[in-house]
Amino acid sequence: MSERKWIATFAAVSGWLGWAPSAGAHRLDEYLQATRLSVSIDRVDLVIDLTPGAAIANKVLAWIDTNGDGRISDAEARAYAEEMLRSVTLKVDGLPAPVELVASSFPEWSDVRLGVGMIRLQAVAKIPPAGAGHHVISFLNTHRPESGVYLVNALVPDNPSIQLGQPRRDYAQRGMTLDYTVGGAVSDVPRTWALLALAILVGSLRLALRRRAPLLTVNE
Amino acid sequence: MFRTRFAFAWTGLAAVLAVAVLLPTVIHSQQPAASRPPDTSAAVTPKVVGAANAFLASLSAAERAKCTFGFNSSQRTGWSNLPTGIFKRNGARLGDLTPQQRSAALALVAAALSREGYQKVTDIMNGDEVLKGTGGGRTGGKQDARGPGGGIRFGRDEYYMALLGNPSTTEPWMIQFGGHHLAINVTVVGANSVLTPSLPAAQPARYVLNGQTIRPLGRENDKGFALINALNSRQQKRAILNYAVNDLVLGPGNDGKVIQPEGIPCSELDSRQQSMLLDVAHEWVGILNDEAANAKMAEIKANLAKTYFAWSGSTKNGELAYYRIQGPTVVIEYAPQQGDLDHIHTIYRDPTNDYGARLVHP
Repeated sequence: MSERKWIATFAAVSGWLGWAPSAGAHRLDEYLQATRLSVSIDRVDLVIDLTPGAAIANKVLAWIDTNGDGRISDAEARAYAEEMLRSVTLKVDGLPAPVELVASSFPEWSDVRLGVGMIRLQAVAKIPPAGAGHHVISFLNTHRPESGVYLVNALVPDNPSIQLGQPRRDYAQRGMTLDYTVGGAVSDVPRTWALLALAILVGSLRLALRRRAPLLTVNE
Repeated sequence: MFRTRFAFAWTGLAAVLAVAVLLPTVIHSQQPAASRPPDTSAAVTPKVVGAANAFLASLSAAERAKCTFGFNSSQRTGWSNLPTGIFKRNGARLGDLTPQQRSAALALVAAALSREGYQKVTDIMNGDEVLKGTGGGRTGGKQDARGPGGGIRFGRDEYYMALLGNPSTTEPWMIQFGGHHLAINVTVVGANSVLTPSLPAAQPARYVLNGQTIRPLGRENDKGFALINALNSRQQKRAILNYAVNDLVLGPGNDGKVIQPEGIPCSELDSRQQSMLLDVAHEWVGILNDEAANAKMAEIKANLAKTYFAWSGSTKNGELAYYRIQGPTVVIEYAPQQGDLDHIHTIYRDPTNDYGARLVHP
């Protein structure tokens, strides 16, 4: 995708995401960083909600507004989003899975000053298609640990063939390790059995009809 | 003859086998995550519709236009726990209503909720009036601090009523009542009503009014601590998460998300502990009118084996702790904010039936 196209997409999706209502309390001196992971066969989607507390709003603004003009340009927003994502390490089965920014939305700065403005980053890590069996994802967020408080959770996958295990985290929830299995167990096996059963049923009915026809003729 | 009988016997056996294999597969594939909830409050809906129509009749045409929305409008998900001045609410602001209109609005809330639920709503609103008088708590916003919607405002006047769809005993419609630390979303579909998602919260968590100590979410706190302390050490080890949970995971703006359940499954609790957990859940479920709440409790009970209880923090009542109840049709979170015991947020969701989704699109 060309740079211009990327920026256009970025801006459009940012605008679309902008409606999302702010969450949570009016934070003070904490920088809440809440991540949700969605695991698919060939990708891991991340949504990261960043809510700076009111008492550190100016500090966070300074991190983003690098030219100090008091406003956040698209370039500054994108640069900060990418900087944040560089603090995120994602591994699948022990191999690094690079996380790429998909979209972001930045709140009104007046909201941030009250501790309710939420920056939302949408990112994706494309991974080699996971085969049947056991897999492990590890996630670590080291962004701004001096003020960061963290949440990280895995969403139940839409694909029923992916079964998540119990997540394991460090006390601060900066990191999470998650076992999951991909299997025919949930989606493929019932379908196979159903097709086999259907074949037996159809075959049996055909056989019955073929056998029954002369018998009825004899009875008449 | 023998061949014919043999063929029939084989065919019969094969057919039985095929049906035995097919039937569970078909049932499995057609079974929704949770079945349609049973019809409940046949007697309640007409009363709620009557109260809604009485409220609407008390308003001028202009006032009515301000607080009525399409059932599928974006207003449905546009709720928040934040105070006026930070979050812009649509609807009829209690402070702008005449005493008669205000009474009609509150009568509608009372008609849709249980007596205890209405009391909880009143306690939360009165708490916000206390917050107004004290200029804000240790955590959270300060009264009159500048916000995008003007200065932050607390108090009983800052609660809003909105109606989505036309009040009806047959067609879906919704009551949305909320303000700072309160979001009540009641979707009415025929004889059924649904309270999810809703957000009861409290700041201050304890205050004195007319000589009485009020704790709007006191039972939620005490029953949670009683439950975790009713578990034996092996069960506590399963229930207590080894990490801090600093906020609601599925707060406002997180509709439709299902996180991986954690903690102890209720199948590992004894019957007394299970009853205690149901009693905790009832603190949220029972905000809604008794008939609808009873039906919802029966649904939660039926899914109890697949319901989890997770705890993070101290097990000593009076200290900081977060807890979560999560089952196929319920998510409840209780979360003190930023280390402040006087500032509690909670959320009540049904991932299969938020805004009555199962009833509206069965």
